[in-house]
Amino acid sequence: MECKDIEVVLEQEGLEPLPEEARAHLAECVDCRSYVADLTALVDVANKLPAEIAPPERVWVSLRAQLEAEGIIRQAAEEVTAQPTSWWSSLQAFFSNRVLATSSVGIVLVAAAVFLVRSESVAPPSRAEIARRTPPITQVVPPANQPAKGPNAAGPLTAPSRVSAPAEFASTAQALDDQEPLATGLIASSNSTIDASLRDNLKKVNEFIADCERHLKDQPQDELTREYLSAAYQQKAELLSAIIERGRSIN
Amino acid sequence: MPTGVESPAKVGTTQSPRLATEADAIRLAQGGDAGAFEQLYQLHSRRVYALCLRMVGNPSDAEDLLQEAFLQLFRKIGTFRGESAFSTWLHRMTVNVVLMRLRKKSLPAASLEETTEPDEETGGPRKDIGAPDLRLSGAVDRVNLERSIEKLPPGYRTVFVLHDVQGFEHNEIAGIMGCSVGNSKSQLHKARTRLRELLQEDLRDQARAERHAAKTQAGLGD
Repeated sequence: MECKDIEVVLEQEGLEPLPEEARAHLAECVDCRSYVADLTALVDVANKLPAEIAPPERVWVSLRAQLEAEGIIRQAAEEVTAQPTSWWSSLQAFFSNRVLATSSVGIVLVAAAVFLVRSESVAPPSRAEIARRTPPITQVVPPANQPAKGPNAAGPLTAPSRVSAPAEFASTAQALDDQEPLATGLIASSNSTIDASLRDNLKKVNEFIADCERHLKDQPQDELTREYLSAAYQQKAELLSAIIERGRSIN
Repeated sequence: MPTGVESPAKVGTTQSPRLATEADAIRLAQGGDAGAFEQLYQLHSRRVYALCLRMVGNPSDAEDLLQEAFLQLFRKIGTFRGESAFSTWLHRMTVNVVLMRLRKKSLPAASLEETTEPDEETGGPRKDIGAPDLRLSGAVDRVNLERSIEKLPPGYRTVFVLHDVQGFEHNEIAGIMGCSVGNSKSQLHKARTRLRELLQEDLRDQARAERHAAKTQAGLGD
Protein backbone atom coordinates (compact mmCIF):
# COMPACT_ATOMS: atom_id res chain seq x y z
CA MET A 1 0.00 0.00 0.00
CA GLU A 2 1.22 3.50 -0.83
CA CYS A 3 0.53 6.90 0.66
CA LYS A 4 -2.13 7.75 -1.91
CA ASP A 5 -4.00 4.57 -1.06
CA ILE A 6 -4.29 5.64 2.58
CA GLU A 7 -6.43 8.58 1.48
CA VAL A 8 -8.83 6.23 -0.31
CA VAL A 9 -9.02 3.90 2.68
CA LEU A 10 -9.72 6.74 5.08
CA GLU A 11 -12.45 8.08 2.82
CA GLN A 12 -14.18 4.75 2.36
CA GLU A 13 -13.59 3.05 5.71
CA GLY A 14 -13.13 5.92 8.12
CA LEU A 15 -10.51 5.97 10.84
CA GLU A 16 -11.26 2.71 12.62
CA PRO A 17 -10.71 -0.06 12.21
CA LEU A 18 -8.04 0.31 9.54
CA PRO A 19 -7.35 -2.74 7.34
CA GLU A 20 -4.21 -4.73 7.96
CA GLU A 21 -2.47 -3.37 4.85
CA ALA A 22 -3.12 0.20 5.91
CA ARG A 23 -1.77 -0.44 9.40
CA ALA A 24 1.33 -1.99 7.92
CA HIS A 25 1.91 1.11 5.81
CA LEU A 26 1.39 3.41 8.78
CA ALA A 27 3.98 1.47 10.75
CA GLU A 28 6.56 2.46 8.12
CA CYS A 29 5.40 5.93 7.02
CA VAL A 30 5.84 8.79 9.49
CA ASP A 31 3.87 11.27 7.46
CA CYS A 32 0.83 9.06 7.00
CA ARG A 33 1.03 8.05 10.63
CA SER A 34 0.98 11.71 11.68
CA TYR A 35 -1.86 12.42 9.30
CA VAL A 36 -4.04 9.66 10.72
CA ALA A 37 -3.10 10.66 14.29
CA ASP A 38 -4.17 14.24 13.59
CA LEU A 39 -7.51 13.20 12.16
CA THR A 40 -8.07 10.84 15.07
CA ALA A 41 -7.27 13.58 17.58
CA LEU A 42 -9.74 16.06 16.11
CA VAL A 43 -12.48 13.45 15.76
CA ASP A 44 -11.96 12.44 19.39
CA VAL A 45 -12.53 16.02 20.50
CA ALA A 46 -15.52 16.34 18.16
CA ASN A 47 -17.10 13.24 19.67
CA LYS A 48 -16.99 14.92 23.07
CA LEU A 49 -18.71 18.13 21.95
CA PRO A 50 -22.28 18.37 23.21
CA ALA A 51 -24.61 16.80 20.67
CA GLU A 52 -27.55 18.56 22.31
CA ILE A 53 -27.84 22.17 23.42
CA ALA A 54 -30.92 23.37 25.24
CA PRO A 55 -32.61 26.26 23.43
CA PRO A 56 -34.20 29.11 25.39
CA GLU A 57 -37.79 28.56 26.48
CA ARG A 58 -38.92 31.58 24.50
CA VAL A 59 -38.52 29.64 21.25
CA TRP A 60 -41.23 27.17 22.25
CA VAL A 61 -43.35 30.03 23.53
CA SER A 62 -43.19 31.79 20.19
CA LEU A 63 -43.56 28.59 18.19
CA ARG A 64 -46.62 27.49 20.09
CA ALA A 65 -48.24 30.88 19.64
CA GLN A 66 -47.63 30.67 15.92
CA LEU A 67 -49.02 27.13 15.71
CA GLU A 68 -52.18 28.19 17.50
CA ALA A 69 -52.51 31.25 15.31
CA GLU A 70 -52.37 29.02 12.24
CA GLY A 71 -54.84 26.56 13.72
CA ILE A 72 -52.33 23.72 13.61
CA ILE A 73 -52.78 23.17 17.34
CA ARG A 74 -56.48 22.55 17.58
CA GLN A 75 -57.00 21.11 21.02
CA ALA A 76 -55.49 23.69 23.37
CA ALA A 77 -58.90 24.83 24.70
CA GLU A 78 -60.16 21.28 25.26
CA GLU A 79 -56.95 20.33 27.06
CA VAL A 80 -57.32 23.18 29.48
CA THR A 81 -60.98 22.64 30.30
CA ALA A 82 -60.46 18.94 30.86
CA GLN A 83 -58.26 19.48 33.89
CA PRO A 84 -59.09 20.95 37.27
CA THR A 85 -57.07 24.11 37.66
CA SER A 86 -56.24 26.75 40.16
CA TRP A 87 -57.72 30.21 39.95
CA TRP A 88 -54.61 31.57 38.25
CA SER A 89 -54.53 28.73 35.72
CA SER A 90 -58.22 29.29 34.99
CA LEU A 91 -57.59 32.94 34.27
CA GLN A 92 -54.60 32.14 32.09
CA ALA A 93 -56.57 29.59 30.12
CA PHE A 94 -59.44 32.00 29.72
CA PHE A 95 -57.04 34.64 28.47
CA SER A 96 -55.41 32.28 26.06
CA ASN A 97 -58.74 31.49 24.46
CA ARG A 98 -60.45 34.83 24.54
CA VAL A 99 -58.10 37.69 24.66
CA LEU A 100 -54.56 36.83 23.59
CA ALA A 101 -55.41 33.74 21.63
CA THR A 102 -52.73 34.24 19.03
CA SER A 103 -50.04 35.53 21.26
CA SER A 104 -49.51 34.99 24.89
CA VAL A 105 -50.81 31.53 25.79
CA GLY A 106 -47.19 30.56 26.04
CA ILE A 107 -46.04 33.83 27.58
CA VAL A 108 -47.82 32.89 30.80
CA LEU A 109 -45.67 29.80 31.01
CA VAL A 110 -42.44 31.79 31.03
CA ALA A 111 -40.36 31.97 34.16
CA ALA A 112 -41.48 33.79 37.30
CA ALA A 113 -43.27 37.14 37.11
CA VAL A 114 -41.44 40.29 38.08
CA PHE A 115 -44.33 41.44 40.15
CA LEU A 116 -47.03 39.65 42.10
CA VAL A 117 -49.88 42.07 42.17
CA ARG A 118 -52.68 40.23 43.83
CA SER A 119 -52.71 37.78 46.70
CA GLU A 120 -54.58 34.57 46.28
CA SER A 121 -56.75 35.34 49.28
CA VAL A 122 -59.22 37.00 46.94
CA ALA A 123 -61.96 34.51 46.26
CA PRO A 124 -61.52 33.52 42.64
CA PRO A 125 -64.45 33.26 40.31
CA SER A 126 -65.14 29.68 39.31
CA ARG A 127 -64.62 28.61 35.74
CA ALA A 128 -68.36 28.27 35.22
CA GLU A 129 -68.91 31.72 36.63
CA ILE A 130 -66.32 33.22 34.32
CA ALA A 131 -67.89 31.52 31.33
CA ARG A 132 -71.39 32.63 32.31
CA ARG A 133 -70.66 36.24 33.19
CA THR A 134 -68.02 37.24 30.75
CA PRO A 135 -68.83 38.24 27.23
CA PRO A 136 -66.20 38.14 24.50
CA ILE A 137 -63.39 40.50 25.41
CA THR A 138 -64.39 43.11 22.88
CA GLN A 139 -67.48 43.69 25.03
CA VAL A 140 -65.73 43.77 28.37
CA VAL A 141 -64.94 47.40 27.82
CA PRO A 142 -68.21 49.11 27.00
CA PRO A 143 -67.47 52.76 27.56
CA ALA A 144 -70.69 54.52 26.95
CA ASN A 145 -69.74 56.73 24.08
CA GLN A 146 -67.07 54.73 22.31
CA PRO A 147 -67.28 51.64 20.17
CA ALA A 148 -66.23 48.38 21.80
CA LYS A 149 -62.57 47.97 21.23
CA GLY A 150 -60.09 45.28 22.18
CA PRO A 151 -57.22 43.24 20.85
CA ASN A 152 -59.49 41.19 18.66
CA ALA A 153 -61.56 44.03 17.35
CA ALA A 154 -61.44 44.80 13.67
CA GLY A 155 -59.74 47.88 12.40
CA PRO A 156 -56.25 49.29 12.65
CA LEU A 157 -54.49 48.84 15.94
CA THR A 158 -53.25 52.10 17.37
CA ALA A 159 -51.31 52.89 20.49
CA PRO A 160 -53.81 52.46 23.34
CA SER A 161 -54.89 55.58 25.13
CA ARG A 162 -54.48 55.02 28.84
CA VAL A 163 -56.39 56.34 31.79
CA SER A 164 -54.69 56.26 35.14
CA ALA A 165 -54.44 52.82 36.68
CA PRO A 166 -56.66 51.99 39.64
CA ALA A 167 -55.05 53.07 42.88
CA GLU A 168 -54.07 49.60 44.03
CA PHE A 169 -52.19 48.99 40.76
CA ALA A 170 -50.65 52.42 40.37
CA SER A 171 -47.14 51.59 41.51
CA THR A 172 -47.10 48.34 39.55
CA ALA A 173 -48.32 50.02 36.39
CA GLN A 174 -45.72 52.75 36.78
CA ALA A 175 -42.92 50.24 37.30
CA LEU A 176 -43.93 48.34 34.18
CA ASP A 177 -44.19 51.54 32.17
CA ASP A 178 -40.70 52.50 33.30
CA GLN A 179 -39.28 49.13 32.20
CA GLU A 180 -41.00 49.03 28.84
CA PRO A 181 -38.74 51.46 26.92
CA LEU A 182 -35.66 49.58 28.10
CA ALA A 183 -37.08 46.27 26.96
CA THR A 184 -38.43 47.39 23.59
CA GLY A 185 -35.22 49.30 22.88
CA LEU A 186 -33.21 46.10 23.11
CA ILE A 187 -35.08 44.45 20.25
CA ALA A 188 -36.25 47.52 18.35
CA SER A 189 -33.97 46.97 15.39
CA SER A 190 -34.35 43.21 15.15
CA ASN A 191 -36.24 41.68 12.23
CA SER A 192 -36.40 38.16 13.57
CA THR A 193 -39.76 36.42 13.76
CA ILE A 194 -39.36 35.83 17.48
CA ASP A 195 -38.78 39.51 18.22
CA ALA A 196 -41.66 40.55 15.97
CA SER A 197 -43.87 38.11 17.86
CA LEU A 198 -42.73 39.51 21.20
CA ARG A 199 -43.43 43.09 20.09
CA ASP A 200 -46.85 42.03 18.84
CA ASN A 201 -47.60 40.29 22.13
CA LEU A 202 -46.62 43.37 24.08
CA LYS A 203 -48.86 45.54 21.95
CA LYS A 204 -51.83 43.25 22.55
CA VAL A 205 -51.21 43.13 26.30
CA ASN A 206 -50.97 46.94 26.45
CA GLU A 207 -54.23 47.29 24.56
CA PHE A 208 -55.95 44.90 26.91
CA ILE A 209 -54.59 46.74 29.95
CA ALA A 210 -55.84 50.01 28.52
CA ASP A 211 -59.28 48.51 27.92
CA CYS A 212 -59.49 47.18 31.48
CA GLU A 213 -58.32 50.45 33.00
CA ARG A 214 -60.92 52.40 31.06
CA HIS A 215 -63.65 49.98 32.09
CA LEU A 216 -62.67 50.10 35.75
CA LYS A 217 -62.71 53.87 35.66
CA ASP A 218 -66.37 53.70 34.64
CA GLN A 219 -67.29 50.68 36.72
CA PRO A 220 -64.90 50.46 39.65
CA GLN A 221 -67.05 47.81 41.32
CA ASP A 222 -66.44 45.26 38.55
CA GLU A 223 -64.29 42.69 40.32
CA LEU A 224 -63.94 40.44 37.33
CA THR A 225 -62.32 43.15 35.24
CA ARG A 226 -60.10 43.94 38.21
CA GLU A 227 -58.94 40.31 38.18
CA TYR A 228 -58.34 40.48 34.44
CA LEU A 229 -56.28 43.62 34.88
CA SER A 230 -54.25 42.01 37.63
CA ALA A 231 -53.47 39.06 35.41
CA ALA A 232 -52.64 41.33 32.50
CA TYR A 233 -50.07 43.24 34.54
CA GLN A 234 -48.49 39.95 35.49
CA GLN A 235 -48.43 38.84 31.88
CA LYS A 236 -46.85 42.13 30.89
CA ALA A 237 -44.20 41.68 33.56
CA GLU A 238 -43.38 38.21 32.28
CA LEU A 239 -43.33 39.44 28.72
CA LEU A 240 -40.98 42.32 29.50
CA SER A 241 -38.72 39.90 31.34
CA ALA A 242 -38.62 37.62 28.30
CA ILE A 243 -37.91 40.57 25.99
CA ILE A 244 -35.07 41.83 28.18
CA GLU A 245 -33.54 38.37 28.36
CA ARG A 246 -33.83 37.99 24.61
CA GLY A 247 -32.46 41.47 23.97
CA ARG A 248 -29.40 40.88 26.11
CA SER A 249 -28.63 37.65 24.33
CA ILE A 250 -28.62 39.26 20.88
CA ASN A 251 -26.83 42.46 21.84
CA MET B 1 -19.11 29.59 21.02
CA PRO B 2 -21.75 27.05 21.85
CA THR B 3 -21.88 25.85 25.40
CA GLY B 4 -24.55 23.42 26.26
CA VAL B 5 -25.77 20.37 27.97
CA GLU B 6 -23.27 17.56 28.03
CA SER B 7 -24.76 14.64 26.21
CA PRO B 8 -22.44 11.69 25.95
CA ALA B 9 -25.15 9.47 24.51
CA LYS B 10 -25.32 9.76 20.79
CA VAL B 11 -28.36 9.09 18.69
CA GLY B 12 -29.64 5.59 18.20
CA THR B 13 -28.70 3.97 21.49
CA THR B 14 -32.23 3.98 22.88
CA GLN B 15 -34.15 3.91 19.67
CA SER B 16 -36.69 1.15 20.33
CA PRO B 17 -38.26 2.32 23.62
CA ARG B 18 -38.46 5.89 22.38
CA LEU B 19 -39.99 4.94 19.05
CA ALA B 20 -43.30 3.77 20.50
CA THR B 21 -43.78 7.05 22.38
CA GLU B 22 -42.74 9.14 19.40
CA ALA B 23 -45.06 7.25 17.06
CA ASP B 24 -47.97 7.99 19.38
CA ALA B 25 -46.98 11.62 19.61
CA ILE B 26 -46.80 11.91 15.83
CA ARG B 27 -50.24 10.39 15.44
CA LEU B 28 -51.72 12.72 18.06
CA ALA B 29 -49.96 15.72 16.59
CA GLN B 30 -51.47 14.92 13.22
CA GLY B 31 -54.80 15.36 14.96
CA GLY B 32 -53.80 18.76 16.34
CA ASP B 33 -53.02 17.69 19.90
CA ALA B 34 -51.08 20.44 21.70
CA GLY B 35 -49.34 18.11 24.13
CA ALA B 36 -48.12 15.91 21.30
CA PHE B 37 -46.55 18.88 19.53
CA GLU B 38 -44.78 19.87 22.69
CA GLN B 39 -43.56 16.34 23.26
CA LEU B 40 -42.09 16.13 19.77
CA TYR B 41 -40.46 19.51 20.26
CA GLN B 42 -38.96 18.46 23.60
CA LEU B 43 -37.71 15.21 22.06
CA HIS B 44 -35.83 16.83 19.20
CA SER B 45 -35.29 20.53 19.81
CA ARG B 46 -31.95 20.24 21.57
CA ARG B 47 -30.29 18.32 18.77
CA VAL B 48 -31.77 20.59 16.15
CA TYR B 49 -30.73 23.70 18.05
CA ALA B 50 -27.18 22.34 18.45
CA LEU B 51 -27.00 21.79 14.71
CA CYS B 52 -28.35 25.26 13.91
CA LEU B 53 -26.00 26.90 16.39
CA ARG B 54 -22.94 25.21 14.92
CA MET B 55 -24.02 26.04 11.41
CA VAL B 56 -24.65 29.76 11.92
CA GLY B 57 -22.47 30.51 14.93
CA ASN B 58 -24.77 32.82 16.86
CA PRO B 59 -27.69 32.09 19.21
CA SER B 60 -30.07 34.66 17.77
CA ASP B 61 -30.03 33.23 14.25
CA ALA B 62 -30.00 29.70 15.64
CA GLU B 63 -33.21 30.38 17.60
CA ASP B 64 -34.92 31.73 14.50
CA LEU B 65 -33.82 28.73 12.49
CA LEU B 66 -34.97 26.33 15.19
CA GLN B 67 -38.40 27.88 15.19
CA GLU B 68 -38.57 27.94 11.40
CA ALA B 69 -37.56 24.28 11.13
CA PHE B 70 -40.20 23.14 13.58
CA LEU B 71 -42.80 25.39 12.04
CA GLN B 72 -42.23 23.77 8.66
CA LEU B 73 -42.24 20.35 10.24
CA PHE B 74 -45.49 20.84 12.11
CA ARG B 75 -47.18 22.41 9.11
CA LYS B 76 -46.40 19.28 7.12
CA ILE B 77 -46.81 16.70 9.82
CA GLY B 78 -50.02 15.49 8.28
CA THR B 79 -48.02 14.25 5.30
CA PHE B 80 -45.59 12.16 7.34
CA ARG B 81 -46.14 8.51 6.50
CA GLY B 82 -43.18 6.94 8.23
CA GLU B 83 -41.19 5.98 5.14
CA SER B 84 -38.16 7.52 6.81
CA ALA B 85 -37.34 8.06 10.47
CA PHE B 86 -39.01 11.14 11.91
CA SER B 87 -35.64 12.40 13.08
CA THR B 88 -34.24 12.11 9.57
CA TRP B 89 -37.20 14.01 8.16
CA LEU B 90 -36.81 16.74 10.75
CA HIS B 91 -33.09 17.08 10.23
CA ARG B 92 -33.56 17.23 6.48
CA MET B 93 -35.87 20.18 6.92
CA THR B 94 -33.46 21.78 9.35
CA VAL B 95 -30.51 21.47 6.98
CA ASN B 96 -32.58 22.93 4.15
CA VAL B 97 -33.69 25.84 6.30
CA VAL B 98 -30.14 26.51 7.43
CA LEU B 99 -28.60 26.33 3.98
CA MET B 100 -31.30 28.61 2.59
CA ARG B 101 -30.49 31.14 5.28
CA LEU B 102 -26.78 30.93 4.56
CA ARG B 103 -27.40 31.44 0.86
CA LYS B 104 -29.51 34.50 1.57
CA LYS B 105 -26.65 35.90 3.60
CA SER B 106 -24.49 35.49 0.49
CA LEU B 107 -22.17 33.06 2.16
CA PRO B 108 -20.82 30.57 -0.33
CA ALA B 109 -23.17 27.63 0.16
CA ALA B 110 -20.80 24.97 -0.98
CA SER B 111 -22.14 22.18 -3.07
CA LEU B 112 -21.42 18.70 -1.93
CA GLU B 113 -18.84 18.43 -4.65
CA GLU B 114 -16.25 20.70 -3.10
CA THR B 115 -12.82 19.28 -3.57
CA THR B 116 -9.61 19.57 -1.71
CA GLU B 117 -6.29 19.61 -3.46
CA PRO B 118 -4.53 16.32 -2.90
CA ASP B 119 -0.80 16.22 -2.82
CA GLU B 120 0.22 16.72 -6.42
CA GLU B 121 3.30 14.55 -6.34
CA THR B 122 2.04 11.41 -4.70
CA GLY B 123 -1.69 11.93 -4.65
CA GLY B 124 -1.50 11.03 -1.01
CA PRO B 125 -2.40 12.97 2.12
CA ARG B 126 -1.19 16.48 2.56
CA LYS B 127 2.02 16.39 4.45
CA ASP B 128 3.56 18.96 6.69
CA ILE B 129 7.14 17.95 6.28
CA GLY B 130 9.49 19.38 8.87
CA ALA B 131 6.66 20.71 11.04
CA PRO B 132 6.56 18.52 14.15
CA ASP B 133 5.12 21.42 16.13
CA LEU B 134 1.96 21.21 14.04
CA ARG B 135 0.90 17.81 15.32
CA LEU B 136 -2.61 18.03 16.61
CA SER B 137 -2.48 15.33 19.26
CA GLY B 138 -2.76 17.08 22.57
CA ALA B 139 -3.14 20.47 20.89
CA VAL B 140 -6.78 20.32 19.85
CA ASP B 141 -9.33 21.45 22.37
CA ARG B 142 -13.03 22.20 22.20
CA VAL B 143 -12.54 25.92 21.77
CA ASN B 144 -10.26 25.85 18.78
CA LEU B 145 -12.16 22.97 17.22
CA GLU B 146 -15.49 24.83 17.47
CA ARG B 147 -13.80 27.90 16.02
CA SER B 148 -12.45 25.87 13.13
CA ILE B 149 -15.79 24.17 12.49
CA GLU B 150 -17.31 27.62 11.97
CA LYS B 151 -14.78 28.24 9.22
CA LEU B 152 -15.71 25.14 7.24
CA PRO B 153 -17.81 25.59 4.10
CA PRO B 154 -21.47 24.88 4.89
CA GLY B 155 -21.59 21.54 3.08
CA TYR B 156 -18.56 20.15 4.91
CA ARG B 157 -19.72 21.67 8.17
CA THR B 158 -23.09 19.98 7.93
CA VAL B 159 -21.72 16.51 7.33
CA PHE B 160 -19.04 16.86 10.00
CA VAL B 161 -21.46 18.08 12.65
CA LEU B 162 -24.05 15.43 11.81
CA HIS B 163 -21.52 12.58 11.89
CA ASP B 164 -18.72 13.40 14.29
CA VAL B 165 -20.62 15.59 16.74
CA GLN B 166 -24.19 14.34 16.64
CA GLY B 167 -23.47 10.71 15.83
CA PHE B 168 -25.60 10.16 12.74
CA GLU B 169 -24.57 7.26 10.52
CA HIS B 170 -23.77 7.76 6.85
CA ASN B 171 -27.02 6.17 5.68
CA GLU B 172 -28.93 8.65 7.85
CA ILE B 173 -26.85 11.58 6.62
CA ALA B 174 -27.50 10.47 3.05
CA GLY B 175 -31.22 10.67 3.77
CA ILE B 176 -30.87 14.08 5.41
CA MET B 177 -28.66 15.58 2.72
CA GLY B 178 -30.25 13.87 -0.24
CA CYS B 179 -26.99 12.31 -1.35
CA SER B 180 -25.45 8.84 -1.57
CA VAL B 181 -23.70 7.08 1.27
CA GLY B 182 -20.47 7.24 -0.71
CA ASN B 183 -20.88 10.98 -1.11
CA SER B 184 -21.45 11.40 2.60
CA LYS B 185 -18.28 9.47 3.39
CA SER B 186 -16.31 11.48 0.87
CA GLN B 187 -17.51 14.81 2.22
CA LEU B 188 -16.81 13.76 5.78
CA HIS B 189 -13.24 12.85 4.95
CA LYS B 190 -12.75 16.14 3.13
CA ALA B 191 -14.23 18.02 6.06
CA ARG B 192 -11.86 16.33 8.48
CA THR B 193 -8.89 17.04 6.24
CA ARG B 194 -9.87 20.68 5.91
CA LEU B 195 -10.34 20.95 9.67
CA ARG B 196 -6.86 19.57 10.16
CA GLU B 197 -5.51 22.33 7.91
CA LEU B 198 -7.44 25.00 9.78
CA LEU B 199 -6.23 23.75 13.13
CA GLN B 200 -2.64 23.64 11.90
CA GLU B 201 -2.97 27.24 10.70
CA ASP B 202 -4.22 28.08 14.16
CA LEU B 203 -1.21 26.40 15.73
CA ARG B 204 1.13 28.19 13.33
CA ASP B 205 -0.40 31.53 14.26
CA GLN B 206 -0.10 30.75 17.93
CA ALA B 207 3.53 29.67 17.58
CA ARG B 208 4.29 32.83 15.60
CA ALA B 209 2.66 35.00 18.24
CA GLU B 210 4.60 33.27 21.00
CA ARG B 211 7.90 33.72 19.18
CA HIS B 212 7.13 37.37 18.63
CA ALA B 213 6.24 37.82 22.27
CA ALA B 214 9.44 36.11 23.32
CA LYS B 215 11.54 38.35 21.06
CA THR B 216 9.80 41.43 22.35
CA GLN B 217 10.42 40.34 25.90
CA ALA B 218 14.08 39.61 25.14
CA GLY B 219 14.44 43.01 23.51
CA LEU B 220 12.97 44.72 26.54
CA GLY B 221 15.28 42.82 28.80
CA ASP B 222 18.42 44.04 27.04
